[in-house]
Amino acid sequence: MITDQLIGFAFPFLSFLLQETVAKGRLASAWDKVQHPDLSKFLVIGALLFIIGVAGVLTRRNIIVIFMSIELILNAANLNFIAFSNYLQSTGRANAVAGQLFAIFVIVVAAAEAAIGLGIVIALYRNKETIWVDEIDILKW
Amino acid sequence: MVDFRGEVGLNQFWMRLSNSKNNVTVTYYSFFKAKRQSAIDNRQSAMTLHGWEAIFFWVFALAAILAGLLTVMARNAVHSALFLISSLVSVAALFIILRAEFIAGVQILVYVGGVMVLFLFVIMLVNVGAEERGREEIFNGTRQVAASLVFCFLLALGLLAAIGTGVDAMQKRDAVALGQSTVQRNADEEKLPAGATGTSRITKQAEVVGGSLYRYASLPFEIASVLLLVAIIGSVMLARTLKQEASADDVAPEDLSGPGVEGTIVMGVIENP
Repeated sequence: MITDQLIGFAFPFLSFLLQETVAKGRLASAWDKVQHPDLSKFLVIGALLFIIGVAGVLTRRNIIVIFMSIELILNAANLNFIAFSNYLQSTGRANAVAGQLFAIFVIVVAAAEAAIGLGIVIALYRNKETIWVDEIDILKW
Repeated sequence: MVDFRGEVGLNQFWMRLSNSKNNVTVTYYSFFKAKRQSAIDNRQSAMTLHGWEAIFFWVFALAAILAGLLTVMARNAVHSALFLISSLVSVAALFIILRAEFIAGVQILVYVGGVMVLFLFVIMLVNVGAEERGREEIFNGTRQVAASLVFCFLLALGLLAAIGTGVDAMQKRDAVALGQSTVQRNADEEKLPAGATGTSRITKQAEVVGGSLYRYASLPFEIASVLLLVAIIGSVMLARTLKQEASADDVAPEDLSGPGVEGTIVMGVIENP
């Protein structure tokens, strides 16, 4: 069987790779980084949330889901603010809470934006009877 | 480190596994055996999570990412809203791990309690039946989706590369301050009063944030209140019906929809069909 041959070929190769990485401490250091997440992990999570939000804004047709994706983007920005605030506090600046203040203002702006945006959605739906963004094209010539 | 010196077998394996070239790390066993303090002493850089904090970090981070993905992918808009709520709650838990308890509370109260309820109301006001039954396509055309996915992939590459280099450089810059303040910060935390259950300590984060909000950011605070007022008035004005708008402007509704002005009002402008 070709699968047996493949496994028979692949297994020594994989075990060799595993031994190499273990011997060089790469696996251990990667596992160590998993066990001790630091600032960069929070930033990566924030970046991933941001990208998911951007993908939602660019690909979805439902205007309400687009608004939700915008909320996701703002939340990712908040996560970055809070992570940097905590990092600055851990460098000895005990009162470095500027990041948390920014996060509060981001939440305020997000609430205002949601209220206005959903008001626009209601007005649009009342007049155009649609929530698909590709059908709302009265500004396109 | 001292704690598992006498043990053999698996410990030896883990120790050998964790002995890399330049740093001796505490792995696996220290989760359950070594004291938290010794784990902290072993790491020079601060803002590194240990033990249960690390476990909860991964749980909530993965939950936030997964719920965010499902928000974008869900066919039903109500499901999207519920997944977004779980994503927001997971991010609030991450805020708590980052010792920003006040922001976590604000996030849950304002986002989950206010904004998402508003979203759910609007979803139920507009019609989503067609989407639910699968008659309508939920994504844009294939070409747009492909282009935006390529764009997002490039964005991900750029952001991850920037984070990788930037955080390394920043931690190198702050290495001395980080090492010094870790000890100081732990000592400060020990002085805080214990909570009712005795497992946690009552922090002063909310106090510090409130003080800074009025001390350093009082003008933006006032501007934010004006912004919220404008948002209230704007949303009330936008969501008015034709009849309500006409009565507010002292125009009889039959004058607006008479034979001369056939059509509908789109954002204050009469649009003829």
